Amino acid sequence: MNLRNPRLPLLVAGAVAAVTLPFWAGDVYRVHLATLIAAYWILVSGLNLVVGFTGLLSVGHVGLLAIGAYAFAILAGTHEINPFVSLVIAGGVGGVCGFLLGLPSLRLPGFYFAMATLAFALIVTEVTLAQQELTGGGAGIAVPGFGGPFESPDGFYWLVAGIAVLFTVFTWNVSRRMWGRAMIALRDSDVAAASVGVPVYKVKLTTFTFSGVAAGVGGALFGALQSYITPETFVFELGMFFFICIVIGGRGVILGPFVGTIVLTALPEFVAPLANLGQFFYGALLLIVVLLVPEGIGHVFTWLRERRSPRTTDKQVVTPDLERLAAAIRAGREA
Amino acid sequence: MSVADVAASGGLQATRVTKRFGGVVAVDAVSLDLRPGEIHGLIGPNGSGKTTLLNLLSGYYAIDDGTIVLDGETLNRTPVQRRPFLGVARTFQKPRLLGSLSVLDNAMLGGWRDARAGFVGTALALGRARRDDAVLRARALELLHGVGLGGVLDRRANQLDHAEQRFLEIARGLAMRPRFILLDEPAGGLTEHEIEQLARVVTTLRDGGIGVLVVEHHTDFVFRICDRVTTLNLGRMIAQGSPQHVRNDPEVIRVYLGA
Repeated sequence: MNLRNPRLPLLVAGAVAAVTLPFWAGDVYRVHLATLIAAYWILVSGLNLVVGFTGLLSVGHVGLLAIGAYAFAILAGTHEINPFVSLVIAGGVGGVCGFLLGLPSLRLPGFYFAMATLAFALIVTEVTLAQQELTGGGAGIAVPGFGGPFESPDGFYWLVAGIAVLFTVFTWNVSRRMWGRAMIALRDSDVAAASVGVPVYKVKLTTFTFSGVAAGVGGALFGALQSYITPETFVFELGMFFFICIVIGGRGVILGPFVGTIVLTALPEFVAPLANLGQFFYGALLLIVVLLVPEGIGHVFTWLRERRSPRTTDKQVVTPDLERLAAAIRAGREA
Repeated sequence: MSVADVAASGGLQATRVTKRFGGVVAVDAVSLDLRPGEIHGLIGPNGSGKTTLLNLLSGYYAIDDGTIVLDGETLNRTPVQRRPFLGVARTFQKPRLLGSLSVLDNAMLGGWRDARAGFVGTALALGRARRDDAVLRARALELLHGVGLGGVLDRRANQLDHAEQRFLEIARGLAMRPRFILLDEPAGGLTEHEIEQLARVVTTLRDGGIGVLVVEHHTDFVFRICDRVTTLNLGRMIAQGSPQHVRNDPEVIRVYLGA
């Protein structure tokens, strides 16, 4: 749905740049930053299906990120389980928590659903503070790396980037098939969705559970990248940050939120004055996007293309082809 | 016609259905049966309960009293999301399309009941999701060409004019392979010429064996294409029968058609 041929060279160039990044990035910090973007994107790619496609306003995914990170730290660190096995389990724990959170809250209308996810994020913070024996409480907990070839910053970057590509492919596959259409139907008109038989609650719950898996995996990799986590690492602003990445990137697209994640993570690091502005920068950018391009930066490309080759919207009269219609109806009967 | 007869012939039958909103009885013990291969018109003044009855048949509202039977099976408690699987499709008075998606995508959505691939299979790009898409795309293409939207397949639905939106809703409904389709004011806002095209489409559906319920204010259109007509007033049925019979019914003339 979103991959048109003119974009292909751009995507190939982007892929080459991403694979070779450690060779041209210059210093270790930039590789660290790229790894951080990839870990964030794993979460955002799943959240994008929830927010951008299904239209559910979840602002609490930072809680699921924390759960993934702590699960990984406890399994791979405290219990010394193989990090890859721990990673898979962390994803599973994220999925289960997403499912359990979605089970009651997805019945709520939009605003109350957002409040439920917010409350969830706050509860996770309190639990990690309280469960000292498990999480180290306010002092935090060390998170082991993956060892072997993934111990070096470059190796770990490739690992995280590879998993990020995997999740991007998952979400792209979903978005361009019937599931993607059903999700957008829930976002734009749940009445229409129900009228064609889309099981509203089931689609929402499935999508939300998937986003929990993505958040769990992203959280595990995020934790391993930080190498030490405390409840302070998972401030509520981080949850808003993920949400804003998608709003700025645009709804119902994948590339837009991806660019949004890169820009919002990297820009304050490279443009020093922006870093001083901190949250103000995010706020200002959000305001500009919402006021000027409410459909998000992902749609600027579409808009430019349509400006370059304006569509001839001459009024043409609907002229049914009745024989073809009759044949199509007959085919439907026999199917 | 008794219940058993309708069940034998296959039909969507509402018997003495009643719907109350607070103290208002919107639909009051109305009976109506829709048979395959017939066009049934539902007319009446504003607020007479036409759309409410359609919403009861398609499951948006639960009925307070009476029964709705499809092929001898009671639908009273069947949720709205299940009815497409039983072969009941509908359109809306104000078209409800997905504005950001193309005409083709909108029509394909109607084929949801035949999409077999699960979420995980789709994410992993197992063959089934691709086959689903291919089948449903081919079906949607034929239907869109059939209703006359073959020239605007890639246009976003929010760029369609009013008539195109109405025809797209019909195509989406047909993509469900329905046995009955309920059209809520399909001629609303259409030009004379477009109503003519609509009449040809609707009669083609009937000839294809689909039972069509038309809720409409364009009485000329209704009397011309319908096999039977039901008239409501203030939630009650005041006349039912052939267009000829209903058109000449003194009560219908008094409350709706005018002298």
